[in-house]
Parts: sequence; structure tokens; C-alpha cells
Amino acid sequence: MIQALSKTPAEEAFGMSLPHRRMEEWRWTDLRRSLVKPYPPRQNIVSLPRDIDRLIASSPFARLTSHRIVFVNGSLDQARSNFAGLTFELGGPSSSSVDDPVIHLNRAIDPSGLTLRFDESFDVPVEIIHVATPGAPRAMALHNRIEVGQAASATLVETFVGEGDYVINAITEIHVGAGARLDRVKVEIDSRDATHLSYIDCILAKDSKLNELTLTSGAGLSRQNGNYLFAGENVNAHIAGAYLLDGRQHADTRLVMDHKVPHCTSREIFKCVMDENARGIFQGKVIVAKHAQKTDGKQSSHALLLSETAEFDAKPELEIYADDVVCGHGATAGDINHDHLFYLMSRGIPQAAAKSLLIGAFVGEAFDAVVNDGMKEALVAFADSWLTRRAST
Amino acid sequence: MLTINNLHVKLEDEPREILKGLSLNVKAGEVHAIMGPNGSGKSTLSYVLSGRDGYEVTEGSVMFKGENLLAMDPNERAAKGVFLAFQYPIEIPGVATMQFLKVALNAQRKARGEKELSIPDFMRFVKERAAKLNISQEMLKRPVNVGFSGGEKKRAEILQMAVLEPSLCVLDETDSGLDIDALKVVADGVNALRSPDRAMVVITHYQRLLDYIVPDFVHVLSDGKIVKSGGKDLALELEEKGYAQFVEKAA
Repeated sequence: MIQALSKTPAEEAFGMSLPHRRMEEWRWTDLRRSLVKPYPPRQNIVSLPRDIDRLIASSPFARLTSHRIVFVNGSLDQARSNFAGLTFELGGPSSSSVDDPVIHLNRAIDPSGLTLRFDESFDVPVEIIHVATPGAPRAMALHNRIEVGQAASATLVETFVGEGDYVINAITEIHVGAGARLDRVKVEIDSRDATHLSYIDCILAKDSKLNELTLTSGAGLSRQNGNYLFAGENVNAHIAGAYLLDGRQHADTRLVMDHKVPHCTSREIFKCVMDENARGIFQGKVIVAKHAQKTDGKQSSHALLLSETAEFDAKPELEIYADDVVCGHGATAGDINHDHLFYLMSRGIPQAAAKSLLIGAFVGEAFDAVVNDGMKEALVAFADSWLTRRAST
Repeated sequence: MLTINNLHVKLEDEPREILKGLSLNVKAGEVHAIMGPNGSGKSTLSYVLSGRDGYEVTEGSVMFKGENLLAMDPNERAAKGVFLAFQYPIEIPGVATMQFLKVALNAQRKARGEKELSIPDFMRFVKERAAKLNISQEMLKRPVNVGFSGGEKKRAEILQMAVLEPSLCVLDETDSGLDIDALKVVADGVNALRSPDRAMVVITHYQRLLDYIVPDFVHVLSDGKIVKSGGKDLALELEEKGYAQFVEKAA
């Protein structure tokens, strides 16, 4: 056994050791090295109301949602939340059975949270937004649970915004009931100095449907884990992701599709744009149990590298024990296609605008997973503003 | 309008010359056909005129409306009025045809100091032209050229030409891959754009296209040079006797 190294200041503050690159699942994201200073949990931050309101308004969905649950610096802000018509319990789950470093860290930070139940279909989007206001370095955690009851449907948005140097760790437990449907969008536009860690623990009952998109564009370092358990037959899950990264941003997503039963479909499509020195990672694992026949599991990750120094790493893993399945994966990485660029320019579109059009089209394919047109438009608008900012620097 | 003088072109990363002293003078209102066997440099000419990367001009000049065309980026050439109808139109996933046309037209108008068209005006403008080319609304919603048949791609090229209203149209093997009905639709679309202030350079291997787009001048391109020029009857002569006589002469 290798003797553990002495604890880093961050590990002292959390009271636990952090994952590092010698652990296979963390080979690209060495949290032990990245989190150098202490990020004490449960700090009382004095935040200015105008900062909070400004950050809430920076959500791409600010104008689309009136049902908003607001967490500020890791605590529920009841006054700014609108629970009208929602069934909920304050205080999230008090434990998790999942053995994962992100979850252990979440417990160590002592999370806030709530349980939200959609027993009946709820036809407007509900946004859970976490706002980190400028303040001393600190760690914050959320642990929420979302339940969509039998045959019900819901649209959930999880948004993370902030300014300053902090660690945010968010667990979302999701249970989609039999015949139910969940459309979920997560937008990570945390501060560039922030570290964003998350874990989705999702259980899908028979005949349920999940449509999901995660946009990753804010934090300097993000690590997003997800475990999707196909617990009943005829589940259809479409899981999309988009990265818009630049500078020295580092985004690592690791998803597990756990097909325990027959006749389920999983689709993963990740469209990752990396500029400057940014690095994107996609690790996707598909497990098909022995009796999970007729599983249809496909995974694809595509990277658009806009500079010589940008990087993308993909690690697909298929663990298939059944013999009658359709499973596959594909990964590509490249820069802007020169033929495409020439074609657009030959029609009079200047180079910078032509590039923006092509990058927008590339990442836009991920947004197709979003069912709500208004939300899709808001995501396209966010990508456009990212591209405009990029073109003007 | 277009004056090509002693143009020598090679590929950037190969020493071999492709165009070896090509000269051509095209005036407004004229339609010139450039015919030649495979490998004579026809497509290279179209790419050099439109500004594609990968080619190096080692000698000669190309003047367009009195300006040095070779010094301009592809988008500047387009805004000045140069349009290339591609032999193999490029598929652009994720960019709807209608959106592409709007961005392109407005970029050109902006470059020329003109006002952008309003959305209703633009839609009307495109729909009129699309109808004439049998291009459906559904096709305009699809991504540029993605999933289009060979004929649809060529019609879409002509639609772009009709919308962008260039002053010099270069058509690179526009007849390739078209059956006779599709060829007629495309040729009608091209003929509708003939005008006293617009010139066309029609590049083709076969005479067939010239039955429908009747040229004022025909040039034979062989081994990087124009080896013979004449009227529209030259195309018929070529159809009958083949390129061999000219190829030998050049060699």
C-alpha cells in the first residue's frame, strides 16, 4: 500500500482526501493538485442584494421562468424563490448510498437542498439557480432531489452562476416514475475562478423518458459525474452536452449509462468547443447487464478545437454482457472544416462571421435535445454571445 | 469586366504548374464557355477566381472591374460581384439554407454600404426566386446542401446566384450529375440571369450544357492554356472531333 501523502490545505479544510490523477476515473482531473488553498465550508458571506439580483438575471432563462428556487452561497433564499403550485420539502436527502468522491465531498461540505415532487404534470419550466456572490474563497454544496411521479411530466432547469473564487458541489438525485417524462437543462456558467463539481444520480422507471442537456461554459475547472440507472423497460434517455470553453478552462464529464433491464434506449451526444488553452474531456461508460437484451445504447462526442493548444480527450467504455444489443460509440476532434469556411466566404460572409456561424451550428446540434423552444432559443442566444465575445477579442 | 492576363498558377505544396499563361477577356453581357479535357486546369481557374486557399499565382494578373482580384479575400470578391457555382456544392450541417442566404446577402450588402433587407422583404425575395427553380419551402429550411440530391444541389447553387445577383458568374461543371430535366431547370435559371451588365464564364467538359446556355464565345483550355477561341460553333466542332487535335497541338 502506498502511504498517503500529507494532506493539502484544501484536504485539511474538507477533512477528507481529494481524488487525484492516479485514480483511473480522475486521470485527467487532478483535484488534489487543482484545489490548493483551503475552501472552508459554511462561511457567512455578506452579499449585496444588487449582486444577487444581477447574477440571477444573468441566467439565460431569466425571462423564461417565473418558478424559481434560489440558493445564494449554498443556502436557500426563500424571499427570492417562487414555489407557487410546487410540492416540495425543505432540506434535501440526508445521505447518499453512492460511493463517489464528489458525493463524499458534498457531505463533507454539509449541503443545503430540497426535494421537489411533480406528482402531476407541471407545464412551465422550474429553475433551480445557485448564485455565488463575490467573497472570500469558500466551499458550498447542494443536495437536491427531484421526483417526477407516475405519468407526470416536468421541465427542470438547473443554473449555476457566480463571481469570485469558490467551490460549488451539487448533487441532484432524480427519479423519473413509470411513464413519466423529464426535460432537464443544466447550465454551468459559474465564475472563471470557480471549481464546479456535480453528480447526477438518476433512476429511470419503466416507460419513462428523459431529455437532458448540460451546457458547460463558466467554471475554470468543472467535473460533472452522472449515473443513469435504467430500472424499467422501454426507457428512452437522450443526454446531450455542450462545452464552450476558452482560456485555461478544464471541463471533465463522466457519465455511466447503467442498462439493467431489456428494451431501453440511451443516446449521448456531446459537442465540445475548445479555444485557446482549454481542455475538454468526455468519459462515457455504457454497461449492459446480461439480461438487458435489445438495449440500444449509442454515444458520441465531437470536439471542435479552435486553437493549436486546445485539447480534447475522449474515453468511451462499453461493458456489455448481453448478446443481442445495438451499442456503439464515436469520437471525433478537429478544427473548422476549411471547405465549409471557403464555401461560406465565397458567398460574401467575412471569415470571422463564417467561423461563428460554423461553430454555432456545431454546438447547436446538442441543443436539439431541448424540447422547449424558448429554452432552445435562449441557449442559442447564449452561444451567440459567447461567439461574439470570442470574435471581438 | 474580367481581364486575365498570362496567368500562371501552381499548387502551393507542389512544384507542378497547372495554369501556364492563361489569358481571357470577358466583357459585361457576354457568356464565355471554357471547354477542355480532364486535367486541363478548368477547376483550378474557377478556384483561383473565387480565392480558394492552396493555389499560388506565380505570374500574371486578374483584374475585375479595374481592381486586382487576386489581392482580395473570397468574401471581398463575392461582395464585388464574383460568384462561383461549385461543381461539388459543400454540405454545411446545422446552418439552415434560408439563414445562410440571409447572412450572405446581408454581409454583401453591408460590404457595399447598402442597407440590410428587412426579414419580410428578404423572405419574399427568396421565395420568388426559389419557386422558379422548383425549390420548396421545406428545402429552404434544411441545412445547406445536406441530404440534397445532385440536382437539388445544383438548383440550390443557382438559387444562391439569383439571390446574390453577382455581376460575374463562374459556373464550374454545372451540368455534371444532372439528368436532362434537371439540366433544363438549371439552364433556365441561368438564362433568366443573363443581362447586359452581367457576365458568365461557363466551365464544362461536355457540349451538352451549351445547347441550353448558348455562349457568345467558346475557348478550348488544354494543359493550362487557352489553345483555341471561337464562336458557339466551336463547341459543336469539339463534340464531333474531340479534344485530341488541340491537346496534340499544345503538346
